[in-house]
Amino acid sequence: MSTPNLLELHNISKSFGALTALRNLSFHISEGEVVGLLGDNGAGKSTTVNLISGIHKPTEGYLSVDGKKTAFTCRSDSADAGIETIYQHTALVDSLSITRNIFMGRELTDRFGFLRQAEMRDIAMEVLQNAVHISGIDSPDTLVGNLSGGQKQAVAIARAVYFKKRILLLDEPTSALSVRETEALLNQVLKLKAENVSSVLVTHNIYHAYQVCDRFVIMSHGTKVFDVDKADTTINQLTEYVVLT
Amino acid sequence: MTPILADSAAPRSRTQRQSFLKQIMSMPAGAILLVFVTLQIVCIAGALLYPDDFRYLSPQNLTILMKAIPVLGCLALGAGVLMIAGEFDLSIGSVYTFTAILMASLVGAGVSAFIAAPLGILTGVMIGLLNGHITLRFGLPSFIVTLGGLLFWRGAVLLYNGAVQVRFDPEPIFTSLFSGTLFGINAAFIWIILFVVGFHFLLHRHRFGNHVFATGGNRVAAEAIGINTNRVKLIAFAIAGGMAAVAGIIATARVGSVQPGQGAGLELQAIAACVIGGLSLRGGRGSIVGVFLGVMLIHTITDVLLLLRAPGFYLDMFIATLIVLAAIFNHLIERRGLA
Repeated sequence: MSTPNLLELHNISKSFGALTALRNLSFHISEGEVVGLLGDNGAGKSTTVNLISGIHKPTEGYLSVDGKKTAFTCRSDSADAGIETIYQHTALVDSLSITRNIFMGRELTDRFGFLRQAEMRDIAMEVLQNAVHISGIDSPDTLVGNLSGGQKQAVAIARAVYFKKRILLLDEPTSALSVRETEALLNQVLKLKAENVSSVLVTHNIYHAYQVCDRFVIMSHGTKVFDVDKADTTINQLTEYVVLT
Repeated sequence: MTPILADSAAPRSRTQRQSFLKQIMSMPAGAILLVFVTLQIVCIAGALLYPDDFRYLSPQNLTILMKAIPVLGCLALGAGVLMIAGEFDLSIGSVYTFTAILMASLVGAGVSAFIAAPLGILTGVMIGLLNGHITLRFGLPSFIVTLGGLLFWRGAVLLYNGAVQVRFDPEPIFTSLFSGTLFGINAAFIWIILFVVGFHFLLHRHRFGNHVFATGGNRVAAEAIGINTNRVKLIAFAIAGGMAAVAGIIATARVGSVQPGQGAGLELQAIAACVIGGLSLRGGRGSIVGVFLGVMLIHTITDVLLLLRAPGFYLDMFIATLIVLAAIFNHLIERRGLA
């Protein structure tokens, strides 16, 4: 066997009382791979995201990271494993500056807990200028509430980049973005891939996924119905699977 | 694939090329600072022009101001930290009275004030923790829980002490520590300045403060990033209770006695000072300097109206107008921030 997969889901089922949200779901994410997790509403995409980010625990089955079986019991477990989930609306605090958002919960401090503000500001500036290209932001002191949806997402991605995450889990990343912002975001995903950061695009939008993904996992009724490399499929076939299964 | 958006395509930032006035207004607490400075200039000019009729700069008046500000200041600092964390405490007025009476009666029973005062603060902290625990454990609005606290501890004062005033006779050194003077400045005023500086560093320069703002600003995001928001809120409740007790100590040391009814309405004045100082009722916004300026503004206006011999009801009406105007102003700023 070659190198183990970065993240792997093994026969995962998840029930909420009588409701079975996921049934026998298995798929994997390799290093430097962009995977599109597709499916209609109610297919189980959100439950899968919550499971990978540690909010839900599987009823049956398990996750493995680098081939080692793991159990995430909370968000910080998945963060420690290098997984950063970027939700549409819940990732940032509007009333704080970009710098403070990037370092939120992971502040650089002296040993008495006082913030090393100048250092954090310099790093934020650096990350904003080099790691992610965000148009229209001139200062890391800008309040996040003053940014557009795409700029906010870029800040969330900047945070993941700075803290050297290995997998970005993007939950419906393009649903609130303008056309230009969507292009910028998808480019960002490719740029990170070049740096060996994997991404999972969880989305309705097959066209956006088709633009950047290497592989597609299609879900329906809580399980995987199709798993295909981009080279072996067409956008029509993907659409058929999403709509008809 | 289209190239990543170039910087030249960026819309020109709205924050560029601001006038000096706009720069001040965009600072945290900038607007309140502007109002405060303007009011001071008018008052000082008035006092210089009419020194006999408007005694704003007389030593007696300045001493009264310096003695009045610290009590509301301590209450507002505690309430402010809690408000930024996204919760309210309506019980601080009652806690202020309860802990003061507890301390005074302990001293009356022969306990040293240097032991009784920390016990009072500890009691305030415990009551704050209790408020916080009930609020968070059952997921209730803190408004309701601490409304209960307001009535409960007001009743507890009467149960413990009855409706009589309690004399406070501590060691002279304790009294001078809180109501003496140093270089002509009232000791209580020095205390409140120290508290303002301490709270400023805690809230704006320390990790804990960042977590307070994150918790109040977007609790879901703060939790997602791994901040224990319950713990942050609990500590904020404890600070509010503890600062209420500190206010009680300062007031009691100044007057030398405690009235069982003295704290009524102070919790609302403290919240008013916070709102005037730019804190959002939804949490996550504001500054310590703003809170302190809010307190000073309330007391300056009260003082000016008294000096002008305005009837008492004007005070309330004036403060009321100020609160509503401040709330409208803050709301506009928030809307701009979320645009």
